[in-house]
Order: sequence, then structure tokens, then C-alpha cells
Amino acid sequence: MTADISSTVQTLVAEAVSKSFVSGRITTRVLDALSLRIDAGELTLISGPSGCGKSTLLSVLSGLQRVDAGRVWALGEELGQLDARALERFRLLHTGFVFQGFNLFPALTALEQVELPLHYLGLSPMQTRARAVQALDEVDMGKRSKLRPIELSGGEKQRVAIARALAKAPTLLFADEPTSSLDSVSGQVVIDLLHRIARQHGTTVLCVSHDARLVDHADRVLTMEDGRILSDRCTVVVPVRNPQMKHIQDLA
Amino acid sequence: MGFTGLLQLLQVALVLGIFGSVGVYITGSTADIWVAYPGTQSIDQGRPINPDIEMLLHMDNEVSQVEPFVWIDGDWRGARDTGGVSVFVSGIDPRQQGLIFAKTLPAKLRVRLAEPDAVIVDRADLDKLGVGIGSHATINGHRVVVVGVGSGLRALGGVNVIASLTTARRLGGTPNDGDRPTYLVARLHHPAQAAVVAGRLNGRNGFGPYQVWTADDFARQSVMYWMFNTGAGAGVLFLAGIVFLVGAVITSQTLAAAVFSSVREYATLNALGVGMRALRSVVLEQALWVGALGLSGASILSGLMLVLAQSQDVPMVLNVSASIACLLLMMTLAVFSGLAAMRSLRHADPATLLR
Repeated sequence: MTADISSTVQTLVAEAVSKSFVSGRITTRVLDALSLRIDAGELTLISGPSGCGKSTLLSVLSGLQRVDAGRVWALGEELGQLDARALERFRLLHTGFVFQGFNLFPALTALEQVELPLHYLGLSPMQTRARAVQALDEVDMGKRSKLRPIELSGGEKQRVAIARALAKAPTLLFADEPTSSLDSVSGQVVIDLLHRIARQHGTTVLCVSHDARLVDHADRVLTMEDGRILSDRCTVVVPVRNPQMKHIQDLA
Repeated sequence: MGFTGLLQLLQVALVLGIFGSVGVYITGSTADIWVAYPGTQSIDQGRPINPDIEMLLHMDNEVSQVEPFVWIDGDWRGARDTGGVSVFVSGIDPRQQGLIFAKTLPAKLRVRLAEPDAVIVDRADLDKLGVGIGSHATINGHRVVVVGVGSGLRALGGVNVIASLTTARRLGGTPNDGDRPTYLVARLHHPAQAAVVAGRLNGRNGFGPYQVWTADDFARQSVMYWMFNTGAGAGVLFLAGIVFLVGAVITSQTLAAAVFSSVREYATLNALGVGMRALRSVVLEQALWVGALGLSGASILSGLMLVLAQSQDVPMVLNVSASIACLLLMMTLAVFSGLAAMRSLRHADPATLLR
């Protein structure tokens, strides 16, 4: 299995992963021997009732949490084999995150929010600035880049948060309930953005949400319940732009 | 942080000012060595010594000028009804080139002490003594006249009254002591030699009991005595300790709260791959900036407060070394607060952001 992972176009692979949480004497099994393959360049939506384990699956696939059993490969690297430092390095180079709460520093302008993580990539100040400006333009926030979070609407804040993730040029973009705290118009803008990022950048976008509006925009919809995948449905055939990510749609 | 810095600086200035006033006789004088009764712990505790020691001092080639200093406890009755006020009478050489209080008393004022029964008091003590310039009063039943006021003469334990040696001896009224001085002070040709000369003079005997200190040593000893061996000293030091503690708690709590309020943002940065070590150094850097900014604010405010205090004759002194010590202390406090604030980062686990 290990040998052929790196050569495949699947950017995320989970193999029989299990994860439990202990609270007092009660042990809750959140992921139950779950296996999954996610392809590059598509927007995958994981939906399901709350407590079904979808957020845990996201954190396991993104290397934020370790599994109790099973294995996870991301971009051909087995995450379980990496130590904490190496995991941070992996996330720095390859992953972007968008959260339900926008988690922007109150004191920083939109531009500074986007630049902040870029400083750690070892880019020159000019490159950092250029990338941040480009990312903000891409989410249509270029004109509001000097504003602080308090001066922005919820949708605008989420767009800044997306720009922050996007500016790193990640191969993997994880989004946790990105539209849940937004009104329908702002939510729609965010959905379109995520979709466009998957298409234009060939980024693997993995999105956890119970927002029904997202379902229509996802390339693939996974429904979870009790730590397992209940259904796996492909909605469209993905036109691949990034030659490196060229692959054959692997229908489940 | 600025507030803490201000507290700290003012506290130090107050402590230095209050206890520095103990040694005002020594620091306000140009004498290089002091001779007193053996084992004298503080300037206010001198006992009469043999006046012949003056000869011994003159015999030393290094000594250029010798002067007696008489210290008498007095009971002051002012012109107005003030009741009895306990005063310290300093009997000094009223000549222009006199050593004692040479730095505090202008020469013009000093020579007026040669007038019979003339005394000088601190400007800030006039009210307490119930007199004005030109008023008459009595000390130990003897009539005196206030010929002028000085500043920087206030003492910790009582009121300082300055008189000439002749006047002071008359006020002392203890015939047995005759013209026995409480202290003998001397100026040296080379002030840097003070320690050597003091050591050399301490080795002699035959003139009755005495001990020689350099002026710096004697001033420090007096200040230390008041600071560590008296109730007032213990109280003030305890207060200073509490101020420091309060400052430390305020600073570290504020910083920790600031970090904690942004813990989700820090967690997001960690999710994006910014290492915990980098985040910790960011927090520490923040602490140092807060410290530096606070200190510059505190310095400005302290300066203003010192000017205000001096105009009100509150004893406050801030010298360079004390200020630097304060600054270092504050920066240390900032660093430790930063380290404490880092603990808040433990909550910055990005997995908790996924709910």
C-alpha cells in the first residue's frame, strides 16, 4: 500500500482509522475503522448530523490529531510517522485552514492577517506582500485590505480568513463549517470561492458542513454517521487544470 | 505595565528619598572622613568624643581641614503655640569654607549663623515649628532666632535645626561635655584616599575611644541602619515589596489575559503550520514591547511626579543607578510575565477549533 500511495493522484487517504475520546469513564468511539480516498482538485463535502465524527475526520486528515488505529497518508506522507515538529512543517508547507469562527487577530488589518503566516515560509518581505495582495484580490477584498476585523462584516471576515489560507498556496485546504455563521448571500460567496479554489488551483478542498446549500456545489458528498461513512456520492466529473493532478475519476 | 513601572519608580524614589534624608548631614557635606564614637550605627546616635582627636587628624599629612560637628537633641517651643517639637540641633562651623552642609547651605546663609543665637530650619518645617524668618523661639529653654530657611534639610526622625557650634553648645547645656564634639570631620587632599586614611587612623590609640569612617561608608551605614533596623524602615521596605508584588501580578495577569483572548487566533496560526516555538517567541516579544512601552510612559510620568514632589518638599530622590535597576527589574518582570503568558498558549490546540 505504502509504495503506490505516492504515485497515485489521491491526495488524502485514510485506511481503517479509528479514534476514541475518553471523558471520565465513558469512551466514545468517534471514528470507527473508517477508510477513505480523496482526489486532488475537487471540493469534497463531508456532511452528517452533529457528533457523527466529521470534524474529527477533518482534524485527523489534516494532521491536527493523531489516530488511535489505522493510517493516514497526505500527499504521500504517512502522517503517523511524523513527529510534532515535522507535522507543523508539513502543515506550514501544504495545508490551509478555514474555520467557522474566523479567528482573526483584532489588532491586525486584513493585509497583515494574510501576511502573518507567510513570514514563516521564509519569503522576502516583497514576496510576502505580493502574495498577500494577490490572495486578497482573489477573494475580492483587495479594496478593504487596510481594515481591521471590527470594521468588516462576517462574510468579509471569512473571505480574509480564506485569503490567509490561500496565500500559502496550499495543496490541501480544510474548511470546517465555513458558512455556518454567515447569511445566505455571504455563504454563497464563500461556497463559490472554495469551489473556484479547487478548480483553478487544483487544490484538494475538504469541507465539513451541514449546510445544505453546499451540497449542490460539491464535487463529491460524503455522508457520515456514528463514525462511519454512510454514503459517498459524486456529483460532477472534475475537469482537471493542473497537469500534476491529472487523474481518472475514481467513483466509489 | 506603565502603571506598574510608575509605581515602582516612585516607590524607589520615595525609599531613596526618605532614607537618603537620614544621611543628609553626611551627603550634604564636603568632608571625606568622619570620626565618631566606636560602633556608632547611625548619624543620629553619635556620642561625644575626645576633642584632642582633632590633633591626631591634623598630624596626618593627607588631612587638609578638620572641623567639629555637634549634635544635640532639643525641645523646640515656637512663637505660635505648637507645643513641644523634638528637634535635632546641628552645630556647625559657620565660616564660609565650613565642611558640614557645604552642599546644602548657600555660603551667604551659612555665615549668618555666626550671629548670636541664630538658627536655620528647612523651608518645609516652618509651619510645624510655628515660626517664620526673623521669628524667635526657644530650644531647651534658650532663645534662638530664625535667620533663614534652607531646603533639603528635612530629617526622617525629627526636625533639623542648624546652628553655629557656639550656639549649639550653649543650647546643649550639659557642662560636662564641655566642648566635646559629637563628630569630627576632615577633608583630605586626595578624596580618593579616604579609605586608606580611615584605615590608617583607626590603627592609632591613645586618644580615647573613636572610630573613623569614610563619608560614603558612614552615610551608607546610617541609611542601612534606618532601612533594616527600624520599624519605619521595615514598614517602607515591606510596602515596596507589596508594590512590586502587585505590579508583578497586574502585569502578568494582563499579559496572560491578552494572550488568552487571542488563543483561538494563535491556534489558527498553529494549524497553518506556524510552530509553537515561533508562537512562544511572539508572545515573549510582545511582552518585551509592552514592557518597553510601559516603561517609557512610566519614565515620563515619574519625571513629572518627581518635579511635583520636589516642589512640595516631599523627599524623593532618583539617581541613575536606581533608575537603571528599576528598568532592569521591570524588564525582568515583563519577561517573566511573558513566560507566564506562554502558559496560555497551551490552550492553543488547533484541534479544539474544529467543533
